[in-house]
Amino acid sequence: MTGTLISLISILIGIIAANTFGYFNKKYSFGLTGNSLIGVFGSVLLIKSFGRLGFDPWSIMQNGTFHIGLFLINCIVSILGGILGLFITKHIENKINKKAAN
Amino acid sequence: MEDMLFYDRLQFAFTITFHYIFPQLTMGLSLLIVFLKGKYLLSKIEKYNNAAKFLMKIFAVNFTMGVVTGIPMEFQFGTNWAKFSELTGSIIGQTLAMEGMFSFFLESSFLALFIFGEKLMGQKLHFLTGFLVFLGSWASGWFILATNAWMQHPVGYEILENGKFVLNNFGDLFTNPWLLPAFLHNQIASVVTSSFVVASIGAFYVLRNKQVEYGKLFLKTGVIFGLVSSILVAFPTGDWNAKNVAEHQPAAFAAMEGIFETEEAGSEIVLIGQPNMVDKKLDNKIAVPNILSFLTHQDWNKQIPGMDQFKEEELPSNIPALYYSYHIMVGLGTIFIGVMALALFFLWRKKLYTIKPLLWTIMFLVPFPYIANLTGWYTAELGRQPYLVYGLLKTSDGISPTVSSGNTLFTLLGFVALYMLLGLLFLVLVGKTINQGPTPQTH
Repeated sequence: MTGTLISLISILIGIIAANTFGYFNKKYSFGLTGNSLIGVFGSVLLIKSFGRLGFDPWSIMQNGTFHIGLFLINCIVSILGGILGLFITKHIENKINKKAAN
Repeated sequence: MEDMLFYDRLQFAFTITFHYIFPQLTMGLSLLIVFLKGKYLLSKIEKYNNAAKFLMKIFAVNFTMGVVTGIPMEFQFGTNWAKFSELTGSIIGQTLAMEGMFSFFLESSFLALFIFGEKLMGQKLHFLTGFLVFLGSWASGWFILATNAWMQHPVGYEILENGKFVLNNFGDLFTNPWLLPAFLHNQIASVVTSSFVVASIGAFYVLRNKQVEYGKLFLKTGVIFGLVSSILVAFPTGDWNAKNVAEHQPAAFAAMEGIFETEEAGSEIVLIGQPNMVDKKLDNKIAVPNILSFLTHQDWNKQIPGMDQFKEEELPSNIPALYYSYHIMVGLGTIFIGVMALALFFLWRKKLYTIKPLLWTIMFLVPFPYIANLTGWYTAELGRQPYLVYGLLKTSDGISPTVSSGNTLFTLLGFVALYMLLGLLFLVLVGKTINQGPTPQTH
């Protein structure tokens, strides 16, 4: 059960990471709403895609023992997911705008 | 064991209640967005396009919150309800997987295209992406309701020697007689919620004398959709659902209507009354004779079995909660029809935008469609108790035997704390969007 909580914590970290990165790098910011939404999907995407390498919520709570190291990796991947989400979305937005301008 | 069952049910009830705040708005809102975008395509009046794009921003925030709060729901099948998942997984897994694979991806992909792709795609394709978002969100409702319909009225299955349920007819999952009325009732109820949300945003703008042009548009759209959907949710879809319950779950029907004793001739309909579980009767009741028999069977004198006709173990486990949920839903639905009919009358008389008490009423009514939707779901779920799969699998036989009640309580407290944070974030994001308004920003 604690695994489910960890997955929610990862998402919150993704939201905070995207907003913090957006705050310091205005070029990549989509505003509070945009950054928060991107933070959610970025962290979910990365944790779902790569978590099975051994740091998903279930591995963190394997046999009922909390693995702090794996949890930290999970948090770092969530942060990366939030930030990467901003980069990718900005890239897509620029491409779309370029095509639309042509 | 009693403790484990209680906490597992409490956790599921809390997480699903919080989760369903979001999808009920997205499903209805997507229809209003398609309507406004379609109106723009036909009229080329820019305010319709801006209004559709503004509502899509609110949709996006809601959708994202729905995704976040939906993740624990998915996990809970495995963690708290492992036995249920093990026994019925080959059936409910079909519809739940289809919901993820077809509807969620359809909805999320085209949501992104709707938000970013207007300039690239042109208006017709932009409308199409909005329509596909609508299709995805309603398909999502369809697959979830198909899962629930199978739990309420199991069809197309066989039970193996090891107790596992398997499908023997895939088509039966989607032609289940429980499904269509439940789906239509649920979807139209979500249109009621979104109509009230849109109308209340409109009332807010008009009252604050800000974004007044859009305020009037939202009020008009919300009131018209609100009245039509409030009527449709009662009749024919609500009526159809009630008849379904009377036919397939007669014990639940007796409990939700508060019929303790079977009457000789026709059954009365109870407007107000409090279930007295000690004396097995309704206290202080106000009832109209024979109406329930007429509404259910179109026969004033048709007998409807009361709770005295069923064994104790066949009756729902929490009769007062079921009775109150049902009556709150019906009572609120009646108020919605009254308020929206009044608002439409004044809209027709061209006075709606100046009657402040009515605008305040519309604005502050916004939580009540949510309450009506949730109590509607409580009615369905409490009516099915004590079963998970009606008549076949008891709720107490579906929980995970190895998860302790202490563990569930700890995570429940964690969910409450995290959901409070998410709820606050949601209110800030939606508040910011509403405050910004639909008028395009100039950079």
